[in-house]
Amino acid sequence: MTTTTAPVQTPPRTETRAGRGNALARQVLAYVVAVLMAFVVAGIIIAALGHNPFDAYRAIVTTSFKSGFGLVETVHKWVPLVLLALAFTIPLAAGKYNIGGEGQLLVGATASAAAGILLADLPIYVLLPLVLVCGVLAGAVFAWVAAWLMDRFGINEILSTVLLNFVSFGIVDYVASEVWSDPAAGHPTTIPIGEGGLLPLVGRPPMHLGVLLAVLVAAAVVVVMRRSVPGFELRAVGANARAAQVHGIRVGRVAVGSLVVGGALAGLAGAIEVAGVHGKLIEGMQSNYLLLGIIIGLIARGNALAVPFVAFGIAVLEVGSSAMQRSAGVPSEMVLIVEALILLFLLFSDVVGARLRRSSR
Amino acid sequence: MTENSSPGPRPLLHMDGIRKTFGPVVALDGVDLTVGRNEVHGLLGGNGAGKTTLMNVLYGLYRADEGIVTLDGQEVVIRDPRDAISHGIGMVHQNFLQVDTYSVTENIVLGTELPSWPSMDLKGQAERIAELSTRFGLSVDPLATVADLSVGLRQRVEILKALYRGAKVLVLDEPTTNLTPQEVDSLFGSLRAIVDEGMSVVFITHKIRETMAVCDTLTVMRDGRRVGTVARRGTTPTELAGLMVGDDAMVRRVTEVVTAGMAAPVGRGPTVDAYAAGDAPERVVVSGLLAHNDHGVPAADVSLSVRGGEIVGIAGVAGNGQVELAEALAGVRPTAAGSMSLDGRDLAGSPTATWLDGGVAYVPEDRHRDGILPSESIVENLVLGAQRGRRFRSGPFLDWRRARQHAESSIRAFSIKAPSASTPAAQLSGGNIQRIILARAFSHEPGFLILHNPTRGLDIPSTQFVYDRTRAAAASGTAVLLISEDLDELTNLCDRILVVYSGRIVGERRRGEYDQYELGHLMAGLEESA
Repeated sequence: MTTTTAPVQTPPRTETRAGRGNALARQVLAYVVAVLMAFVVAGIIIAALGHNPFDAYRAIVTTSFKSGFGLVETVHKWVPLVLLALAFTIPLAAGKYNIGGEGQLLVGATASAAAGILLADLPIYVLLPLVLVCGVLAGAVFAWVAAWLMDRFGINEILSTVLLNFVSFGIVDYVASEVWSDPAAGHPTTIPIGEGGLLPLVGRPPMHLGVLLAVLVAAAVVVVMRRSVPGFELRAVGANARAAQVHGIRVGRVAVGSLVVGGALAGLAGAIEVAGVHGKLIEGMQSNYLLLGIIIGLIARGNALAVPFVAFGIAVLEVGSSAMQRSAGVPSEMVLIVEALILLFLLFSDVVGARLRRSSR
Repeated sequence: MTENSSPGPRPLLHMDGIRKTFGPVVALDGVDLTVGRNEVHGLLGGNGAGKTTLMNVLYGLYRADEGIVTLDGQEVVIRDPRDAISHGIGMVHQNFLQVDTYSVTENIVLGTELPSWPSMDLKGQAERIAELSTRFGLSVDPLATVADLSVGLRQRVEILKALYRGAKVLVLDEPTTNLTPQEVDSLFGSLRAIVDEGMSVVFITHKIRETMAVCDTLTVMRDGRRVGTVARRGTTPTELAGLMVGDDAMVRRVTEVVTAGMAAPVGRGPTVDAYAAGDAPERVVVSGLLAHNDHGVPAADVSLSVRGGEIVGIAGVAGNGQVELAEALAGVRPTAAGSMSLDGRDLAGSPTATWLDGGVAYVPEDRHRDGILPSESIVENLVLGAQRGRRFRSGPFLDWRRARQHAESSIRAFSIKAPSASTPAAQLSGGNIQRIILARAFSHEPGFLILHNPTRGLDIPSTQFVYDRTRAAAASGTAVLLISEDLDELTNLCDRILVVYSGRIVGERRRGEYDQYELGHLMAGLEESA
C-alpha cells in the first residue's frame, strides 16, 4: 500500500519520442502559430482603431505579388534586411551582439559615395567594384573599432556598437551637408555619384544587380558557417567559449573576426543602397533596418539558412505597410507591431513548449 | 511487511517504497531503507545508483512521487530541509554551503533562533559548539574564520552544524572525497562516538573499503533500486562488489574499481608486471614551471618528467595548485616561467593549438565547463581541436562525412550510449560525455596525456573503462600524467606518485613503496620525515 507523501501528479506520459521529424514539425508549427497569433492580436488592435483588419491584411499580403513593381520593391527592400540580419547573426553565433549595423551601413554608404563622387569619371568596371569594396571595408573598419575596444580593454561590444551608431550619424550629416552637399535637395543629401558607380539594372520593372550580390553573399555565409573551419570555430566559441579555448581556438580572435565580418556585410548593404537604390548618400537612409535586422535574426533563431527567408517575409510586410496605409487607412507603423508580436509569440512558444514538456513528464 | 534486517526492536528510521522520477528517468524505484538505532548505516553503490537522491528525499530537497518515511515509528511528511531538521535529520553534502567570511560559530548558528536576539552575543553558542566538538572528536576552533580552514575542518563544521541542530539521523554524502587517510580515520572515529551517544549515521559511499571499515549495516543500491541489506560482519568485499555491479561477467571486468585500495586487490592491471618504463626515454620534461592562479594556489617551481609508457600520478588535496598545473601543462594557461618539452620540443609560450599539434591531450577536470560544446552534436564535439588538422579538412572546408564516420566508429569503440552521432552532447550522461572527451583525446594519438580527476562522478563501468584506456595509452608508449584526489585510484594505476601541497611538489613515491598514510602526511603539508 502506498500513499503519496506529496501532491505530485502521476506521469500521464503517452507521447513517444518520434525522432527529429517530429521536432522539426513542432518548430514549424511554432512559427505558424506565432504568425497567426500576431495577425490576430494586431487585427484586434486595427479593429479597435476603427479600421477593417481584413482590408488591411489584404493590402499587406498582396502588394508584393500583385505587380512586378511590388515584387521588385520587395526584393530591393530584402537586400539591406538580409545583410543587416546576417551582420547581427554572425557575431551572435560567437556569443557577441552587434547592435551597430546601421552605423556600419552608414559609414559603408559614406565611403561608397565618397569613392563614387571623387572618382566619378572612371569607367564602370573600375568604379563599381571600387564603390562596393570601399563600402565593405569601411563597414568592417567601423565594426573593428568596437571589436578592438572589446578585445583590448574588455569594453562591452553592445555598448560600443550602439554608441558608434551616433558617431556615424554625425559623419553622414557632415558629408551630406558640408562636403558634397546638394543644395537643391532641401534635405542633407550629397550630389550623385558617377554613372560608372551605379549597379546595372535588369528586367522590367528594373531590378538592380545588388540583389544577386546579396543572394550570393547569403549563400556563402551559410556554406562558411556550416562547412568551413572558421565557421566551426565560430560556432564552438558560441557554444562554449571555455571549451573552445581549451581546445586551441583563439576565442578573442574569433570574436573580433565575427564582428568585423558582420560590419563588412552591413557596409556592403550601405554600398548597395548607394550604388543601387539612391545613387547618392542621403541622411536617414538607414531607415529602421537595424531594428528589423535584429528582429529577423532573432526570429530565425540565429540560423543563417533561415535568415533570407525570414527577411523576405519581413520585406513583404514592410512593402505592404504603405499600401495598407493608402488603401485601409491603417498607419504603416502597425506592421512593426505585427513583426514585434511575431517575435514575442515565438519566444512565448519556447516557454509554453518547455512547460508542456515538463508537465508531460 | 517483509523486513530482512531489523537490528533493533523498532528502527529509528524507515523509508518504505520511495519512488522518484525525473522526467522519463526513474531515479528511485520503490526503495526501502531501514536504519536501526546506534548504527552507522552504509549506503553503498556506484555513481548514479540513486544514493544521494534517496537521501535528498529524506532531507526534503526532493519530493518523492510515492513512499512513506517513518521516524521513531511515526509517519512524517518532509516538505523541505526545515522540516527535516525539525524532525532531527541532518545532512552533510559534498559541497559545503558556508559563509567564508563568518566564524565557525556564526556559520553553525546561521538560520537557528538565537536566544540573545537581536544582539549577536554568541558566547553561549560557542561554548556549546566547543563542547560538542570535544565530545565527538571533531576538534575545530569555534572562533576561527571558515575561509582559513582546510576541507577536512570545514567538513567538521558541517557535521557540528547538524549535531548543534539536534540531529538524530546524520547523513554524510561521500564524506571522504577530499580527505587525507589520516582525516578519514579521525572522521570514522567521530562517527563511532556519534552513534555511541544514541544517534545514527547514514554514510553514503561508493568505496567498499570504507564501508567495511566503519559501517555496522549496509544497504547496497544499483540503478535506483535497493539490491540488498547486509550486516557488515556477515559479508565480504566480493559479495558487496557482486551486489554493486550486478552480473558476474561485469564484476570480473570491474573488480579493479570496486576493490580499489583494498588490502589485497582481487585483480591487478597487466602493466604492473609488464612495466618496464624505467629504461624508456623521458618524453615529457618540465622544469621550474610557474603558473599563476585565478584564486587557488599557483603552481610554483614544478619540475617533473614522464617517460614513455609511464603513468605518473599527482596526489594532493583539491585546491593545492592542481588546476593551475594541469592547465599549464596542457598549454591552456600561460606559464609565467619555466619550460615544458615533449619529445625534445619546447612548447612553453606557444599558443594552445601548437600544444595540441605537438601531441598534448588534456582531459579536464570539469568536463561540462571545459570539455564539451553542449549544444553541438557528438560529431562536432569529436572534431573540436582537430578542425585545422589534415584529418577532417579538405581545403578550407571540413569534411563532415569523414567526421561522421569517425564519430560513428568512436561511438562503437568507446561504447558511447547515444541515440545517434547527431545527438547534442548536453543530452548525454556524465559517463558518456567523459567517453567523448576520451575518444577525442585518444584520436589525437597523444604523446602526452593529462588526465585530471578523470573518473569523478562516473559509474562503475565507465570508471573501469577509463582505467583500461589509460593503461592502454601507456602501453602504447604515451606518457601519462594522472592528477587525482583519489588515492586509491592513484596507487592502483600509477608507476610513480608525486604529491603536491600548496602548488609545490613535496614528495615522490614509486610503485611498491606506496603507503597511503605516508602520502596523506605529505598531502597535509607535513614535512617529510625521511
